Order: sequence, then C-alpha cells, then structure tokens
Amino acid sequence: MAQSSFFVRVSEDLPSVEDCNDFVADSSCGAITSFVGVTRDTFDGKRVAKLSYEGYVPMAEKELLRLCNDACSKYDVKRIAAVHILGDCPVGKPSVILACSSPHRRDALHCIEFLIDELKARVPIWKREVYEGDEDSVWKENIEWKEGKPRRVMVLEDTSS
Amino acid sequence: VLFWPEEMGFTIQVLLFASAREAAGNVPSITLDLHDGSDTAVLRRLLSEKYPKLSSMVLDEESLTLALNEEYVPTGEILPLKAGDVVALIPPISGG
Repeated sequence: MAQSSFFVRVSEDLPSVEDCNDFVADSSCGAITSFVGVTRDTFDGKRVAKLSYEGYVPMAEKELLRLCNDACSKYDVKRIAAVHILGDCPVGKPSVILACSSPHRRDALHCIEFLIDELKARVPIWKREVYEGDEDSVWKENIEWKEGKPRRVMVLEDTSS
Repeated sequence: VLFWPEEMGFTIQVLLFASAREAAGNVPSITLDLHDGSDTAVLRRLLSEKYPKLSSMVLDEESLTLALNEEYVPTGEILPLKAGDVVALIPPISGG
C-alpha cells in the first residue's frame, strides 16, 4: 500500500478529527470510521487533572506506519490517519485520533478497533497521570504492552520461562 | 617514547524515557563509550553501575525493554552493539 495513503504524526500540535476524516476520505469508500481517545476525569476514585504524554517520536511514527501497513494487510481499508498528542492533555481533550476509510463499513469498524489495540501494545509513548490537588503523578502502563510481549519475544528452544 | 595502545572501543547513544529518565536523574540522553565486543547485556550492567537508582529497572528485562536503532529488542535476546548505535530505554508504554 502506498505510504501516501497514511498520515501519521506524534506531536504537541494534534490535528483535528476533521483533518483526519478529510485525509482518509476517498470516493471509492462508503465508510469512514474514527476513534478519539479523550482524557477522562477519574481513575481509581481519584480526580484526574490532566494526562501528560512523552514519546520516542521517530520510533513512534515508524511504529504507527507499521501499524497502518499491518491494518491494510488484514482489512480492506484504503486510507488511514493515526495521530497522537505530546505534552499536556487536560480532561476532555483528545490525545489520540485514528481514522480510516473502506468501501464498506465492516472492515472500517474492525480496522479502527485493531489500530487502537495495537497502538496501545506497540507505540513508544508514555503518559503520566496528574491528579487534582496532588503533587504526585504516576506513569501509566498499558496492559496491552505486557500482553503484547509474546510478539516481542524471540522464539526460544526452551519454553519453560 | 610512550606507546599508547590503540583504543579498542566505540561510542553509542542511549536515550532514556519516562520513568527510566527520571530514575537516572532526569537525564534524557547519554553518550557512552563501550569496549569492543560489548552487547546489550553489557550495556544494562554498565548503566546499572553508573546510575544506581536506575539499577533494578535496567537489570530487569520484564520492566525495561530496549530498542536498538528504533527496533524493539525482543525479551531474552542479547544483541551486539557497534559504533553509532542508538539504544533507547523503554519502560512499559502507555500511549492511547
């Protein structure tokens, strides 16, 4: 699939949902699906003030492109936009936007689910959760990273570990 | 006449992110001299000696993954290093 069919960016300046939808629009596609991840106001009973994101940008954008290629080999999608914020992301603001287009809706819907699940398992970006009234903040860890480990593990002769 | 043996070593760059960066005292990037034949296991040991607060994290493959030239090093694999390599310390990720 031509690289020009993908728009990926990891940056403090997050493109809008409209930008992403406009990018993936294609006259051959009857379906455009998007996902927007937004900072939630609570975690574990604590009030969240904001999330703050850090990324290994060149590798994150490389992994996002890989993700797009993987998605295209699994689903009949024509164009994909995958963008992620860096820096502070207050409650209610978007941190990640994924959009794709497909001739029909089934593949578009499944592709978006695949993209967000894989992003959480593979793309080197980290978020710190900052709570209200607290000097404390925590680095979050995606469960998908741990679950994705088998794909990063060398095939060993001894499988006892 | 003093005779200096040729330096048998090379230089790499180490990038630190998130909790690993903080554990090293908020150091985002290090230029490191290594002996010829050094690999990613040697690197982990060296970093644990230079940065004691990073030690338990960097010696534990479960809590810290490496990326070599923007490719993940699979858990359990030890890769040789060479001049100009860029190794990133990757704590568990949390994008999205």
